[in-house]
Amino acid sequence: MLSLRNISLKKGSFTLKQVSFDVKDREYFVILGRTGSGKTLLLETIAGLNKHAGTVSFRKRDITNIPTEKRKIGFVYQDFALFPHLSVIKNIRFSDRYQTQSSNFQWDELIDLLGLENLLHRNIHYLSGGEKQRVALARAIYSRPDILLLDEPLSAIDPSLRNTIMEKLKGLKQRFHITVIHVTHNFREAAYLADNIGIMMDGKLVQQGPVQDVLHHPTNIPIAKFLGFKNILPTFLIDADSKDRYFTVNPSMIHVTDHAIESDYNIRGICRESSEGFNHHELVVIAEGCPIFVKMAKQNYDLTLIHTGAAVHLSFPRSAVTFLQTSENLDETSV
Amino acid sequence: MKHLFNLTFIFLSALVLLFIVIPLIGLFTGVGWTGLVEAFLDSEIMLSVWLTMKVSFLGTCLILLTGLPLAYLVARNDFRGKSIIESIIDIPIMIPHTAAGIALLMAFNQGAMAPIFKSLGIQLIDTEAGIMIAMMFLSSPFLINGAKEGFKNVDPKLENVARTLGAGRFSVFFRVVLPNAKKDIINGMLMMWSRGLGEFGAVVIIAYHPMVAPVLIYDRFNNYGLSYSAPVAAVMIAVSLVTFLLVRGLNNRKRI
Repeated sequence: MLSLRNISLKKGSFTLKQVSFDVKDREYFVILGRTGSGKTLLLETIAGLNKHAGTVSFRKRDITNIPTEKRKIGFVYQDFALFPHLSVIKNIRFSDRYQTQSSNFQWDELIDLLGLENLLHRNIHYLSGGEKQRVALARAIYSRPDILLLDEPLSAIDPSLRNTIMEKLKGLKQRFHITVIHVTHNFREAAYLADNIGIMMDGKLVQQGPVQDVLHHPTNIPIAKFLGFKNILPTFLIDADSKDRYFTVNPSMIHVTDHAIESDYNIRGICRESSEGFNHHELVVIAEGCPIFVKMAKQNYDLTLIHTGAAVHLSFPRSAVTFLQTSENLDETSV
Repeated sequence: MKHLFNLTFIFLSALVLLFIVIPLIGLFTGVGWTGLVEAFLDSEIMLSVWLTMKVSFLGTCLILLTGLPLAYLVARNDFRGKSIIESIIDIPIMIPHTAAGIALLMAFNQGAMAPIFKSLGIQLIDTEAGIMIAMMFLSSPFLINGAKEGFKNVDPKLENVARTLGAGRFSVFFRVVLPNAKKDIINGMLMMWSRGLGEFGAVVIIAYHPMVAPVLIYDRFNNYGLSYSAPVAAVMIAVSLVTFLLVRGLNNRKRI
């Protein structure tokens, strides 16, 4: 297990503040955050490239003061950082000289997996973004790291190739027995690849846990906004006695009817907008001045009952609701 | 308007290029083929030219050894006093060359450093070592600044990645940084070497003999006049230009 404890540092305009998290062996951990939130700085710190406060340990051994070249950590940068003076094969085999023990590394499997057979003797200046990305991945994996750090590895890839590369990334940890830490600002990437996920904002890791928990249950308003939650609502809508608290509700789990039905929560409102999506309808319902976004499967939508201006009842179960903390250190207005 | 702009700029550019080229053409046409061939067959001239090129090259190699680490440290780090270090590197460009010769004599021939030089058996007055020190002192900024720009152009991420692949700091420097800064370093060496070839002011103070080419040109001009010194100047310029263009051409050819 890789453990970071209270990692803090400042470099240029970037700051890391008391970052702590654990990543199990052969886990795919994704750090999700906006550009400039300190993600790359965190990866470089794990690799031992920055001086910092706090400790980094791996398999119960403190590696805080171990130099980068001894850490067995592979790194793939967003722009791939291929060595411009070396061919593809020389880039991949750069680490040959530093391997202390001979090993029957799965060279053929690596080249086959990443589709590099025809590129090996090419000049790296003539590779496409996707090809460079695969070379950078192969170079990092070939050095036989225990941990692989990926810094926005898909951002320079043609969208049509992303799914293929994401499949390859997903298979890495099992095929090459490595732990992967992947930073990105892309929710889809995170949802597809991650076992566990951490949300990074303004140099802090503000929430972490299993991917579905984090993506569907943000702990506070800034995280909910970052994750694109539309329904950030005051709790007095579902509990008259509650004040100054907020909750989110999954728009797809709201049932809309023209009469009250039995459910954990019920809200009355007026349908203000109604629009048609590909396989669903979207409504905006106003309840006590608050707009509530609803996404309904087409088969559940009765046009004669629910139309703009109609009085409607919104019903949803407890599982659709996440209560948010409000007293966060994060500046709400910054997100 | 665009036409006028282009014409004005081309005309002014041509003026300055002609200003540089005309004296060289004047020199070669004045000396003529016969004079040039005779000068190439003159052993005193050729020995002097060879001495100049050799000593400047050795000085360049010595500065390469110490100047590259300095250039790398300055290029890669921001630290208090960095601008002072950069100013020190540029000092030789700013000071008069004869003054530099006097300073070198006072520091290394009779100053605090003199005993160290003597213990190493290095004599400055009228020796090749003295010439080399004068050339090194005055030309080193060209190499150091060239290398510094080269190092700045190497993406630090390449070094980071190399380290994650197992390379130590020295290995990263030799396997990643140097190959990618090579072009600027060689250009810097070439500039330093070329500048060393023309060094006169400091050399003449420290070592009139053995005569490097600029001193020989001055000596012949002073004692025998223009017609006797011009062939030496022509040979020196011809040899320097050919070497310069050859090395720069090889260095700047496109990587395949």
